[in-house]
Amino acid sequence: MNQEDWLDRELREAAPYIDDEGFTARVLQQLPPPRRRHDLLRAVILLGMAFLASVLAYVVSDGGRFVSVTLERLAALPALWVFGLALASGLVIAAAGATAAISKSRASLT
Amino acid sequence: MELTDADLVARVLVDDDQHAFSELVRRHQSSVRGLLRQLTRTDIALADDLAQQAFLRAYKNIRSFRGEARFSTWLYRIAYNCFREDARRRKELVGIDEEQLQTQHDPQAADPGLRHDLMRALNLLPLNERSAILLCCQNGLSHDEAARVLDIPLGTVKTNVLRGREKLKRMLADWGPHQVKQI
Repeated sequence: MNQEDWLDRELREAAPYIDDEGFTARVLQQLPPPRRRHDLLRAVILLGMAFLASVLAYVVSDGGRFVSVTLERLAALPALWVFGLALASGLVIAAAGATAAISKSRASLT
Repeated sequence: MELTDADLVARVLVDDDQHAFSELVRRHQSSVRGLLRQLTRTDIALADDLAQQAFLRAYKNIRSFRGEARFSTWLYRIAYNCFREDARRRKELVGIDEEQLQTQHDPQAADPGLRHDLMRALNLLPLNERSAILLCCQNGLSHDEAARVLDIPLGTVKTNVLRGREKLKRMLADWGPHQVKQI
Protein backbone atom coordinates (compact mmCIF):
# COMPACT_ATOMS: atom_id res chain seq x y z
CA MET A 1 0.00 0.00 0.00
CA ASN A 2 1.58 3.31 -0.95
CA GLN A 3 1.41 6.52 1.03
CA GLU A 4 -1.21 8.15 -1.22
CA ASP A 5 -3.63 5.25 -0.87
CA TRP A 6 -3.15 5.34 2.86
CA LEU A 7 -3.80 9.07 2.99
CA ASP A 8 -6.90 8.80 0.82
CA ARG A 9 -8.32 6.02 2.97
CA GLU A 10 -7.65 7.86 6.20
CA LEU A 11 -9.14 11.06 4.79
CA ARG A 12 -12.30 9.25 3.72
CA GLU A 13 -12.62 7.58 7.11
CA ALA A 14 -12.08 10.93 8.82
CA ALA A 15 -15.39 12.08 7.33
CA PRO A 16 -18.03 9.90 9.00
CA TYR A 17 -21.73 10.12 8.11
CA ILE A 18 -23.36 13.04 9.92
CA ASP A 19 -26.82 12.25 11.30
CA ASP A 20 -29.58 14.54 10.12
CA GLU A 21 -30.76 15.45 13.65
CA GLY A 22 -33.43 17.84 12.40
CA PHE A 23 -31.23 19.58 9.83
CA THR A 24 -33.55 18.79 6.89
CA ALA A 25 -36.57 19.98 8.88
CA ARG A 26 -34.84 23.27 9.67
CA VAL A 27 -34.02 23.81 6.00
CA LEU A 28 -37.61 23.04 4.98
CA GLN A 29 -38.95 25.53 7.52
CA GLN A 30 -36.96 28.28 5.84
CA LEU A 31 -38.04 27.50 2.29
CA PRO A 32 -40.28 30.10 0.70
CA PRO A 33 -43.94 29.01 0.32
CA PRO A 34 -44.56 26.90 -2.78
CA ARG A 35 -45.45 28.77 -5.94
CA ARG A 36 -49.21 29.09 -6.50
CA ARG A 37 -50.07 26.63 -9.18
CA HIS A 38 -52.03 28.04 -12.06
CA ASP A 39 -54.93 25.60 -11.65
CA LEU A 40 -57.58 28.25 -12.23
CA LEU A 41 -55.89 29.51 -15.38
CA ARG A 42 -55.52 25.94 -16.61
CA ALA A 43 -59.20 25.25 -16.04
CA VAL A 44 -60.24 28.44 -17.85
CA ILE A 45 -58.05 27.59 -20.83
CA LEU A 46 -59.38 24.02 -21.04
CA LEU A 47 -63.03 25.10 -20.74
CA GLY A 48 -62.51 27.88 -23.27
CA MET A 49 -60.93 25.48 -25.76
CA ALA A 50 -63.74 22.96 -25.21
CA PHE A 51 -66.35 25.69 -25.75
CA LEU A 52 -64.68 26.92 -28.95
CA ALA A 53 -64.40 23.35 -30.24
CA SER A 54 -68.11 22.80 -29.54
CA VAL A 55 -69.10 25.97 -31.38
CA LEU A 56 -66.89 25.02 -34.30
CA ALA A 57 -68.34 21.50 -34.44
CA TYR A 58 -71.87 22.90 -34.29
CA VAL A 59 -71.21 25.32 -37.15
CA VAL A 60 -69.48 22.86 -39.48
CA SER A 61 -72.01 20.09 -38.86
CA ASP A 62 -75.00 21.94 -40.23
CA GLY A 63 -76.37 23.14 -36.92
CA GLY A 64 -75.55 19.96 -35.02
CA ARG A 65 -77.71 17.85 -37.26
CA PHE A 66 -75.33 14.88 -36.88
CA VAL A 67 -76.21 14.76 -33.16
CA SER A 68 -79.92 14.27 -33.75
CA VAL A 69 -79.21 11.75 -36.54
CA THR A 70 -76.90 9.75 -34.27
CA LEU A 71 -79.44 9.81 -31.45
CA GLU A 72 -82.13 8.57 -33.81
CA ARG A 73 -79.86 5.73 -34.91
CA LEU A 74 -79.04 4.85 -31.28
CA ALA A 75 -82.75 4.86 -30.44
CA ALA A 76 -83.35 2.41 -33.27
CA LEU A 77 -80.74 -0.06 -31.91
CA PRO A 78 -81.92 -3.12 -29.99
CA ALA A 79 -81.85 -2.64 -26.18
CA LEU A 80 -79.22 -5.39 -25.76
CA TRP A 81 -76.84 -3.54 -28.09
CA VAL A 82 -77.27 -0.28 -26.16
CA PHE A 83 -76.64 -2.12 -22.90
CA GLY A 84 -73.49 -3.75 -24.34
CA LEU A 85 -72.15 -0.42 -25.59
CA ALA A 86 -72.75 1.28 -22.23
CA LEU A 87 -71.08 -1.59 -20.35
CA ALA A 88 -68.03 -1.59 -22.65
CA SER A 89 -67.65 2.19 -22.35
CA GLY A 90 -67.87 1.98 -18.55
CA LEU A 91 -65.25 -0.77 -18.38
CA VAL A 92 -62.82 1.14 -20.60
CA ILE A 93 -63.17 4.31 -18.51
CA ALA A 94 -62.84 2.38 -15.22
CA ALA A 95 -59.68 0.62 -16.47
CA ALA A 96 -58.14 3.92 -17.56
CA GLY A 97 -58.94 5.51 -14.19
CA ALA A 98 -57.53 2.57 -12.22
CA THR A 99 -54.32 2.59 -14.27
CA ALA A 100 -53.85 6.32 -13.65
CA ALA A 101 -54.51 5.92 -9.92
CA ILE A 102 -52.06 3.02 -9.56
CA SER A 103 -49.28 4.81 -11.41
CA LYS A 104 -49.79 7.95 -9.32
CA SER A 105 -49.73 6.06 -6.02
CA ARG A 106 -46.55 4.22 -7.08
CA ALA A 107 -44.87 7.51 -7.94
CA SER A 108 -45.77 9.03 -4.58
CA LEU A 109 -44.43 5.98 -2.71
CA THR A 110 -40.97 6.15 -4.30
CA MET B 1 -37.41 2.04 -7.27
CA GLU B 2 -35.50 4.96 -5.81
CA LEU B 3 -35.69 8.22 -7.69
CA THR B 4 -32.44 9.69 -8.96
CA ASP B 5 -31.28 13.18 -8.07
CA ALA B 6 -32.24 14.27 -11.58
CA ASP B 7 -35.81 12.95 -11.10
CA LEU B 8 -36.14 14.83 -7.81
CA VAL B 9 -34.77 18.03 -9.35
CA ALA B 10 -37.31 17.67 -12.18
CA ARG B 11 -40.14 17.40 -9.63
CA VAL B 12 -38.94 20.52 -7.85
CA LEU B 13 -38.76 22.35 -11.17
CA VAL B 14 -42.12 21.27 -12.53
CA ASP B 15 -44.32 21.06 -9.42
CA ASP B 16 -42.27 23.08 -6.93
CA ASP B 17 -42.35 19.83 -4.95
CA GLN B 18 -40.83 20.60 -1.56
CA HIS B 19 -41.10 16.95 -0.55
CA ALA B 20 -38.75 16.09 -3.43
CA PHE B 21 -36.39 18.85 -2.32
CA SER B 22 -36.41 17.54 1.24
CA GLU B 23 -35.29 14.16 -0.12
CA LEU B 24 -32.40 15.90 -1.89
CA VAL B 25 -31.44 17.64 1.36
CA ARG B 26 -31.64 14.36 3.27
CA ARG B 27 -29.38 12.65 0.72
CA HIS B 28 -26.70 15.30 0.61
CA GLN B 29 -26.77 16.93 4.04
CA SER B 30 -24.03 14.75 5.48
CA SER B 31 -21.47 15.37 2.74
CA VAL B 32 -22.20 19.10 2.50
CA ARG B 33 -22.10 19.62 6.26
CA GLY B 34 -18.97 17.46 6.48
CA LEU B 35 -17.20 19.49 3.81
CA LEU B 36 -18.15 22.77 5.48
CA ARG B 37 -17.07 21.50 8.89
CA GLN B 38 -13.64 20.77 7.47
CA LEU B 39 -13.46 24.09 5.64
CA THR B 40 -14.43 26.01 8.77
CA ARG B 41 -11.94 23.99 10.80
CA THR B 42 -14.63 22.10 12.70
CA ASP B 43 -16.71 25.10 13.69
CA ILE B 44 -19.88 23.00 13.71
CA ALA B 45 -22.36 25.81 14.33
CA LEU B 46 -20.95 27.97 11.54
CA ALA B 47 -20.71 24.99 9.19
CA ASP B 48 -24.37 24.08 9.75
CA ASP B 49 -25.46 27.69 9.24
CA LEU B 50 -23.55 27.77 5.97
CA ALA B 51 -25.00 24.41 4.95
CA GLN B 52 -28.52 25.74 5.52
CA GLN B 53 -27.71 28.81 3.46
CA ALA B 54 -26.34 26.58 0.72
CA PHE B 55 -29.48 24.43 0.53
CA LEU B 56 -31.76 27.48 0.55
CA ARG B 57 -29.71 29.02 -2.23
CA ALA B 58 -29.86 25.75 -4.14
CA TYR B 59 -33.65 25.72 -3.85
CA LYS B 60 -34.02 29.30 -5.01
CA ASN B 61 -31.64 28.82 -7.93
CA ILE B 62 -32.53 25.29 -8.92
CA ARG B 63 -33.53 26.51 -12.39
CA SER B 64 -29.90 27.30 -13.03
CA PHE B 65 -28.97 23.62 -12.52
CA ARG B 66 -28.70 22.39 -16.09
CA GLY B 67 -27.73 18.82 -15.31
CA GLU B 68 -24.32 19.09 -16.97
CA ALA B 69 -22.62 18.12 -13.71
CA ARG B 70 -23.75 15.87 -10.89
CA PHE B 71 -26.21 17.51 -8.51
CA SER B 72 -23.74 16.95 -5.65
CA THR B 73 -21.01 18.82 -7.55
CA TRP B 74 -23.39 21.75 -8.14
CA LEU B 75 -24.30 21.68 -4.45
CA TYR B 76 -20.65 21.63 -3.36
CA ARG B 77 -20.03 24.67 -5.50
CA ILE B 78 -22.86 26.58 -3.83
CA ALA B 79 -21.65 25.46 -0.40
CA TYR B 80 -18.10 26.52 -1.22
CA ASN B 81 -19.33 29.92 -2.40
CA CYS B 82 -21.28 30.37 0.84
CA PHE B 83 -18.14 29.53 2.78
CA ARG B 84 -15.99 31.86 0.68
CA GLU B 85 -18.41 34.77 1.06
CA ASP B 86 -18.54 34.22 4.81
CA ALA B 87 -14.77 33.93 5.02
CA ARG B 88 -14.42 37.15 3.04
CA ARG B 89 -16.68 38.83 5.52
CA ARG B 90 -14.53 37.50 8.31
CA LYS B 91 -11.36 38.44 6.41
CA GLU B 92 -9.76 35.05 6.82
CA LEU B 93 -9.82 33.81 3.30
CA VAL B 94 -6.07 33.44 2.84
CA GLY B 95 -3.50 31.72 5.00
CA ILE B 96 -4.04 30.36 8.48
CA ASP B 97 -4.12 32.01 11.82
CA GLU B 98 -2.10 29.73 14.09
CA GLU B 99 -3.11 31.58 17.23
CA GLN B 100 -6.79 31.27 16.41
CA LEU B 101 -6.26 27.62 15.57
CA GLN B 102 -4.77 26.96 19.01
CA THR B 103 -7.71 28.54 20.84
CA GLN B 104 -10.46 27.32 18.53
CA HIS B 105 -12.86 24.73 19.83
CA ASP B 106 -11.90 21.49 18.20
CA PRO B 107 -13.92 18.37 19.07
CA GLN B 108 -11.34 16.21 17.31
CA ALA B 109 -8.80 17.24 19.92
CA ALA B 110 -10.52 14.89 22.34
CA ASP B 111 -9.54 11.94 20.15
CA PRO B 112 -5.82 11.35 20.37
CA GLY B 113 -4.01 9.39 17.72
CA LEU B 114 -3.85 9.28 13.97
CA ARG B 115 -7.30 10.81 13.31
CA HIS B 116 -6.47 13.78 15.49
CA ASP B 117 -3.08 14.30 13.85
CA LEU B 118 -4.60 13.99 10.39
CA MET B 119 -7.30 16.56 11.12
CA ARG B 120 -4.77 18.86 12.68
CA ALA B 121 -2.43 18.50 9.71
CA LEU B 122 -5.32 19.13 7.35
CA ASN B 123 -6.26 22.27 9.24
CA LEU B 124 -2.72 23.55 8.92
CA LEU B 125 -2.88 23.48 5.12
CA PRO B 126 -3.65 26.72 3.29
CA LEU B 127 -7.28 27.00 2.25
CA ASN B 128 -6.70 26.35 -1.47
CA GLU B 129 -4.82 23.10 -0.79
CA ARG B 130 -7.21 22.04 1.97
CA SER B 131 -10.23 22.58 -0.27
CA ALA B 132 -8.69 20.60 -3.13
CA ILE B 133 -7.70 17.73 -0.82
CA LEU B 134 -11.15 17.65 0.81
CA LEU B 135 -13.01 17.58 -2.47
CA CYS B 136 -10.78 15.15 -4.37
CA CYS B 137 -9.46 12.81 -1.67
CA GLN B 138 -12.23 12.91 0.90
CA ASN B 139 -15.38 13.45 -1.17
CA GLY B 140 -14.23 11.57 -4.25
CA LEU B 141 -14.64 14.33 -6.82
CA SER B 142 -12.54 14.20 -9.97
CA HIS B 143 -10.01 16.99 -10.53
CA ASP B 144 -12.30 18.37 -13.22
CA GLU B 145 -15.31 18.45 -10.86
CA ALA B 146 -13.21 20.06 -8.12
CA ALA B 147 -12.09 22.73 -10.60
CA ARG B 148 -15.76 23.53 -11.26
CA VAL B 149 -16.59 23.67 -7.58
CA LEU B 150 -13.62 25.89 -6.71
CA ASP B 151 -13.91 27.88 -9.94
CA ILE B 152 -10.19 27.59 -10.65
CA PRO B 153 -8.26 26.04 -13.57
CA LEU B 154 -7.84 22.26 -13.68
CA GLY B 155 -4.04 22.56 -13.50
CA THR B 156 -4.29 24.59 -10.29
CA VAL B 157 -6.43 21.91 -8.68
CA LYS B 158 -3.91 19.22 -9.59
CA THR B 159 -1.07 21.34 -8.21
CA ASN B 160 -2.96 22.05 -4.99
CA VAL B 161 -3.77 18.38 -4.46
CA LEU B 162 -0.15 17.43 -5.10
CA ARG B 163 1.24 20.10 -2.77
CA GLY B 164 -1.33 19.35 -0.10
CA ARG B 165 -0.49 15.67 -0.19
CA GLU B 166 3.23 16.37 0.05
CA LYS B 167 2.67 18.55 3.09
CA LEU B 168 0.39 15.99 4.72
CA LYS B 169 3.04 13.31 4.13
CA ARG B 170 5.66 15.43 5.79
CA MET B 171 3.43 16.34 8.74
CA LEU B 172 2.32 12.73 9.21
CA ALA B 173 5.74 11.18 8.67
CA ASP B 174 5.49 9.41 12.04
CA TRP B 175 2.28 7.73 10.90
CA GLY B 176 3.70 6.14 7.76
CA PRO B 177 1.86 3.22 6.14
CA HIS B 178 4.02 0.69 8.01
CA GLN B 179 3.10 2.12 11.37
CA VAL B 180 -0.57 2.17 10.44
CA LYS B 181 -0.49 -1.51 9.49
CA GLN B 182 0.75 -2.37 12.96
CA ILE B 183 -2.22 -0.65 14.68
